[in-house]
Amino acid sequence: MLEVSDIFTAYGKIEALRGVDLTVDEGAITCLLGPNGAGKTTLMLTIAGILKPRQGSVRFRDKEMVGLSPTRIVAGGIALVPENRLVFAHMTTRENLIAGAYLRLSKSKGAVEADIQRMFQRFPRLEERSEQLAGTLSGGEQQMLAVARALMAQPKLLLMDEPSLGLAPLIVEEIFNIIRELHADGTTIFLVEQNAHMALKVAQHFYLLDQGRVTFSGTPGQVAEDEVIQRAYLGSGGSD
Amino acid sequence: MDPYLVSVFSNIGMISFLALSAYLLLMVGEISFGQQAFFAIAAYASGIATAMWGWPFWIGMVWGAAIAGLAALLVAIPTLRLRGLYFSVATLAFAEMVRLIFEIFTYQVEIDGELVGPDGSEGFRDIRYVYDSDISALDYMLIIYALLAVVLVGFFVLERSRLGSIFRMIGEDPLLTEMQGLNATAYKVLAAVMAGVIAGIGGVLYAHLTTYVEPKIFNVMLGVHALAYGLIGGLGTAIGPLIGVGIDIGFLESIRVISGYRMIVFGGLVAVLLIIRPRGLLDEAAVHWLRTRWRRGRHAGG
Amino acid sequence: MIDFIQNSLDGVMAGSAYGLLAIGFTLIFGVMRRLNLSYGPSIMLGAFVGTMLYLQYQSGALIVAAATVAGAVIAGMYVERLCFWAIRQGAAVASMVSSFVIWMQLEEIVTIFFPERTYAFPPLTTAEPLLFGPFFLKVENLIMFAAAVALTVALHVVLYRTRFGLKVRAVSENPLAARFMGINIGSVMFWAFALASGIGGVAAYLIVGADAQVTPMFGLWATFKGLIAMMLGGMGSIPGAILGGLLLGIVEAQTVWYLGAEYRDLAAYFLLFLFLIFRPGGIMGQVMAARETAAARRV
Repeated sequence: MLEVSDIFTAYGKIEALRGVDLTVDEGAITCLLGPNGAGKTTLMLTIAGILKPRQGSVRFRDKEMVGLSPTRIVAGGIALVPENRLVFAHMTTRENLIAGAYLRLSKSKGAVEADIQRMFQRFPRLEERSEQLAGTLSGGEQQMLAVARALMAQPKLLLMDEPSLGLAPLIVEEIFNIIRELHADGTTIFLVEQNAHMALKVAQHFYLLDQGRVTFSGTPGQVAEDEVIQRAYLGSGGSD
Repeated sequence: MDPYLVSVFSNIGMISFLALSAYLLLMVGEISFGQQAFFAIAAYASGIATAMWGWPFWIGMVWGAAIAGLAALLVAIPTLRLRGLYFSVATLAFAEMVRLIFEIFTYQVEIDGELVGPDGSEGFRDIRYVYDSDISALDYMLIIYALLAVVLVGFFVLERSRLGSIFRMIGEDPLLTEMQGLNATAYKVLAAVMAGVIAGIGGVLYAHLTTYVEPKIFNVMLGVHALAYGLIGGLGTAIGPLIGVGIDIGFLESIRVISGYRMIVFGGLVAVLLIIRPRGLLDEAAVHWLRTRWRRGRHAGG
Repeated sequence: MIDFIQNSLDGVMAGSAYGLLAIGFTLIFGVMRRLNLSYGPSIMLGAFVGTMLYLQYQSGALIVAAATVAGAVIAGMYVERLCFWAIRQGAAVASMVSSFVIWMQLEEIVTIFFPERTYAFPPLTTAEPLLFGPFFLKVENLIMFAAAVALTVALHVVLYRTRFGLKVRAVSENPLAARFMGINIGSVMFWAFALASGIGGVAAYLIVGADAQVTPMFGLWATFKGLIAMMLGGMGSIPGAILGGLLLGIVEAQTVWYLGAEYRDLAAYFLLFLFLIFRPGGIMGQVMAARETAAARRV
């Protein structure tokens, strides 16, 4: 569904991505592992169109995405749950959800409202807080809201950047349950994670990004056998 | 009504347009030091229309506001892609250029044996349409407030609309807004044009009330004041900037006793206010609080 | 051709005044990422303290200079505490508007104590303009140019060879990281502001001295010339401040000669506008761009 080929993205003179190649299969959960600074968020932003790569291509459902504005990319079916700017803090929970569906709002208000109800069913805590300012929600709730908002765009591909970051283990479980449910519903998910333990439980395919390049590609089984990953993420290094 | 009060209220009304103009841009997260340029452009354009081309007042108003909006569009397109403070300085540079151009701009025609029209730094006199039409000062004040009411209704509608939410989203987090698939820059340009038109309406009203405009008036002081009104009154609602104008002009007028020390006192007060409430009296949090109270009050069968 | 060169020389000399003003401006901006609209008025306050000593007590040049700098620094500290330190980090527009109202406050304070249109100030020098072939060079301007160069070098030494300078640069690059390194942000900002105001005080002394008189319009003038020069050179760049000032001076001088004095300020703002559209980073653009994108990595 998503083919990333030979992507080079730079910040001024700093080359963050140096020739990244990977594929995300339709309907699967693909996970990108890697240390801090490896370029994982840069890759997410490049796919979402926020950053322009210097060279390379990103093909989504056989259409070239590089050079398109984020607006067109979202309209094309890719939604991003970003790492550290989760919610519009000064808008209510409900308004945040509507925000995710703005591209569709002019066409079908009824369908958007139905989607909001569906989100509330799936995330009852959000319904409880629907009129509260999103900035006052807890970390886990904000993460949930960010995921729900991204889903409001009815994406074919969901990009998630470190959804478990800074959350308590119990909440992390909840979030990954949600990821499993989305997968069961047929949503394709491309996940960036440092928490390899949790990722191993849900993802079908793994990549390792190190210093701007993909240095490993394999199944969960192969991940468990790989020494480098073992030491860095599963051994005494562990997760955050 | 006491003519002095009419004059004060008319001033408050006209300056409110300028304050609302700066406020609209603050909604999308942009700080403009230059809205006075559109005030000026519309003042001159409409003055030329009514005093020199003989157009009726309302056509002159539409003309003036339209020219201001067009100018805003032309400036917004190259400058809104600049980040933060770069944009702000660009607005300042633009506004000063406009003022300085008016200092040398001369265009006069002979009417009834006299030269009428903008004359560089001498200014533009005899924009007498309103007086020649026997519109009283009180009537004019009502016209000002009628137009202001229309603009306020517009803001009211905006704040409850999809467009208004998008504006606020952009003001809060343009990047996150882009991630929802919305073109932040396009919306900012729209806001800039709307802001230019609003400032323009104020400018037209100003020119025709005072009958005389000179470039000196449209300086950076005016522009920063426009911003300050919103920051004092509050950025959570369109009423905020109006409160700011009321406080400033009302304060200035009523405390004539300390007229020599006005800025010292006022400046100090505003600085302290901004420490306590950096987004003004009626900031977003206050407005949200008021709205929840209002909603709760209604639900309680009030 | 002679005119062009003479104008350029005049421009370079006047430009060093602008550069001096821009240095203080850019130092504050680099550390605070906010515009200080009170910069001109606060150093003007210093100049008026100086003129008061000169007129009341016939103080010598050195005392007047010291008083000017001291006045500017004290005014700067007042502005820093009230408008910048007291307002929390995110509210940049509140700080700038606050600095604007304080500008008006400071101007009023000056006009209350000094209601005349102009006041005498100890002249920088009484020497005659120098003659180099067909070119004139005013000694005052030469002194300002030399001072601008000297101050830039001195500031460079402070920024790159002292612990304080290291802290200032760290805070400019990344305030959050600086805090984690144990740097007291508030203290660094305060002293950077004081340093910038001190430099501004020196600038005020030289500029007003070159004119041998000070007017209440100086504050406004100084803020805008400093701002334009800073933007032309590149926000946050010290060498840029000087280069920006020189460029501004040259463009102004040529404009006045070929188009007339009424076009001078228009040309200045037009130049600024062009730079903002085509090269917002200013003359030192590339250097600054790399720094900004490093900060953008936090996205």
